[in-house]
Amino acid sequence: MENNSNYSRRHFLKDLALGGGGLVILGTLGFKILKSADGKTIKAITVDFKKCAGCRTCETACSAFNHREKISGEEVFGLGNPHLSNIKVYHFNPDVDVPSTCAICPDPPCIHACVISPDLITGRKALYRDPETQTIKNDIKRCIGCKQCAKACSNLRGGIIHPNPETNKPERMCTLCNGDPQCVKHCPYGALEYIEIAADRDLNNLSPNKIAKKLMEQWYNFNA
Amino acid sequence: MSIKGYYGRLLDINLTTGEIKKTQIPEEDIKHFIGGRGLGTKLLWDKLPNPGIDPLSPENAILYMPGPFSGLPIPSSSRTCVVTKSPRTSALNSKYEYGSTVSYSNMGGFFGPEIRFAGYDGICVIGKASKPVYIKIIDDEVEICDASKFWGMGTDEFDNALIEELGDRKFESCYIGPAGENLVPMASILNTAARAAGRGGTGCVMGSKNLKAIAVKGTQMPKLGDHKKYLELLEKVRTSFKEENKDDLEWWRYGGTANALTASSKSGTQAVKNYSEGTFGEIEKIGAAANREQVWKRDFACFSCQLACKKSGIAKGSYSVMVHDGPEYETGTLFGANLLISDLAGLQKLIAVADDYGIDIISAGNVIGFLMEAYEKGIIDSKFLEGIELTWGNVEGSLELLQKMCNRQGIGDLACRGVKYLAEEIKQDSSKFAIHVKGHELAAWNVPVNSEYWSICYATSNRGACHMNGGSPERQDMATLRDSLAACSFASGWYKNEISYSKFLTAITGLDWTDEEFAKAGTRIFTLEKMFNYREGFIREDDNLPYKFFENKFTFGDFKGSIVDKKEFEKNLTEYYKLRGWDTETSKPSDDVLNELDLEFTIM
Repeated sequence: MENNSNYSRRHFLKDLALGGGGLVILGTLGFKILKSADGKTIKAITVDFKKCAGCRTCETACSAFNHREKISGEEVFGLGNPHLSNIKVYHFNPDVDVPSTCAICPDPPCIHACVISPDLITGRKALYRDPETQTIKNDIKRCIGCKQCAKACSNLRGGIIHPNPETNKPERMCTLCNGDPQCVKHCPYGALEYIEIAADRDLNNLSPNKIAKKLMEQWYNFNA
Repeated sequence: MSIKGYYGRLLDINLTTGEIKKTQIPEEDIKHFIGGRGLGTKLLWDKLPNPGIDPLSPENAILYMPGPFSGLPIPSSSRTCVVTKSPRTSALNSKYEYGSTVSYSNMGGFFGPEIRFAGYDGICVIGKASKPVYIKIIDDEVEICDASKFWGMGTDEFDNALIEELGDRKFESCYIGPAGENLVPMASILNTAARAAGRGGTGCVMGSKNLKAIAVKGTQMPKLGDHKKYLELLEKVRTSFKEENKDDLEWWRYGGTANALTASSKSGTQAVKNYSEGTFGEIEKIGAAANREQVWKRDFACFSCQLACKKSGIAKGSYSVMVHDGPEYETGTLFGANLLISDLAGLQKLIAVADDYGIDIISAGNVIGFLMEAYEKGIIDSKFLEGIELTWGNVEGSLELLQKMCNRQGIGDLACRGVKYLAEEIKQDSSKFAIHVKGHELAAWNVPVNSEYWSICYATSNRGACHMNGGSPERQDMATLRDSLAACSFASGWYKNEISYSKFLTAITGLDWTDEEFAKAGTRIFTLEKMFNYREGFIREDDNLPYKFFENKFTFGDFKGSIVDKKEFEKNLTEYYKLRGWDTETSKPSDDVLNELDLEFTIM
């Protein structure tokens, strides 16, 4: 599918290049364009929707790594139950599949929305950025399950964070699997990448619904 | 508790009474029949203690069966097998008015894995709802919901409407279209608006129960017998796909089964002009390359599959069509080559309309081809066809006829019953070119070239003519196992040696599935199906081939002159029965064979 020539590069970047659930890159246009003026970058998981075939292998790989099981005393990978996965693939009709995962936003609205006061020593709220991995973590001992983080993510970004149905405490923040994201590693189609992207960009993430709508228009000239 | 790798649980729903039960599946049945097609047939056998019931009566059961691989990320093993008593087949001389075969039809996608995530090894529906309903399943919560407002809706629109009603995109579902609602015998069941359990009238049985759809969502996974061994095998199979099957993967991703359109035509194995020819001169116009260039935009995969053989896009030309999938080999041949249609947008339109109504394209393509031949021969005229000039290659006429079939209007009401029924109505020797076995139409692989394989394959398949059946006992038993695991045919050849299906099944269950035991299970399942059919009145005379193959010679292509030798066929069939240990006169499996296969409960 060629990009519609009426569709300017500026629109392209604005509407599509920065999508929900991680940075969205289409085709070979990519992070070079997205690099910020000062060259400061962070590493994030990106999705190439043109390559994604919607097989959900990423869900199973994420789940297997992040939800291990104890088998005769030894901790091993889980079976990959997709329900436990942090990354989620959403199907749409006309045919578009949208993998959606935590973008580890440089300006995380989830942490901003956390109502727990910063700890006097560490400066952390219940929801905080782990300085070592840069990922977003939740201190379940301090978290009160107010769901403000999920609301903020849903309103301002991709709607990744889901409160646990029993405790209401936030789940599905990307762990980056100790620096070797399993979703990227196991994607059979090379649709997911873990690469350097601009750190100072406003990652105005879109929800899967919005991304799908854009892609439907682009690929099939379809207006939902 | 059940055997590891299973829940041992069947979701058992009676739509007449509204009763919803979760019943225990006997361990022995799981050991003997594995899952999918096999376990489905055993459960069907138990649900229908007497032969001869009307397949469209509330008494019939319809089973939606994943397999022990379903839900695990074992590549290319996410199919769902629908098992029921067929509304399509009939014997030449059964004592039962409604004597018909078992029907099994499987589809890819995400539905089967989700059944397992919800905590079941299968879903069984009997009875008939008093109004249109759909079944909603969230793990243990099961609800029968009103579907009145969806009745009449095409599958494409419904696919979105259902998600909107459920308010959660993570549901997986399967459903019928207007064809199934109208009780068109050859109606299909679809999921994702494209993937179909098309064959054998499963959609008609669903419609007869007033069941529009099943939607399911779950959170679970069963414990495995040998978790670590399974992980080891998974790693190996992933590596093997990447390293050893790289070229094959590229082939599938490029064109899916549509790659076979041009290849099969060259080899003289394609159904062309109602099976009169094996080669279509214009096949390039509707082949994979043409579609890559003009239609397909994206490739899509089933759950945890690396092939992405489903193709979506936009067709433009004589029609403007949203393409959810296709053509693949079967749809491209039956609506293309078999009707001498080479207008790509026209072909795509026919496929899209058929999927939207939910009708089996293989059977529908046969019906249209049969009527085109009858029209050409002057057996019927345009008056009979209510004004349609049904010449070869006529897209518009085919479309009109197809819609009449789906709506059961006028001539369509006759045509939708299949070529066997049509030939009985039209008479004038038209049965000679009615391409079916046991009332079920043949698929897109033509018979005369490689006739040894294809004639046995079609003549002996347990659901009536079936191209996935295999042309020898060994091939058939392996195909049966594949369908019972809910694995996909396309990558099945890649599971061998260290990563064979039986090794996976051993790790999943913790039972010792030797290659011998595994092969025996395949024979057992195939033979149970055979006994189901035998009980309904199917004997050797029903394991036949359409007359055309014995009298028609190809006139075109590299395989000009090809024909099937009837004596040779009968000889091969006798040989086949001997290999199976079945009576060569009646085709009945011997009591010794049945005992050896633990099928003593079928001995009559």
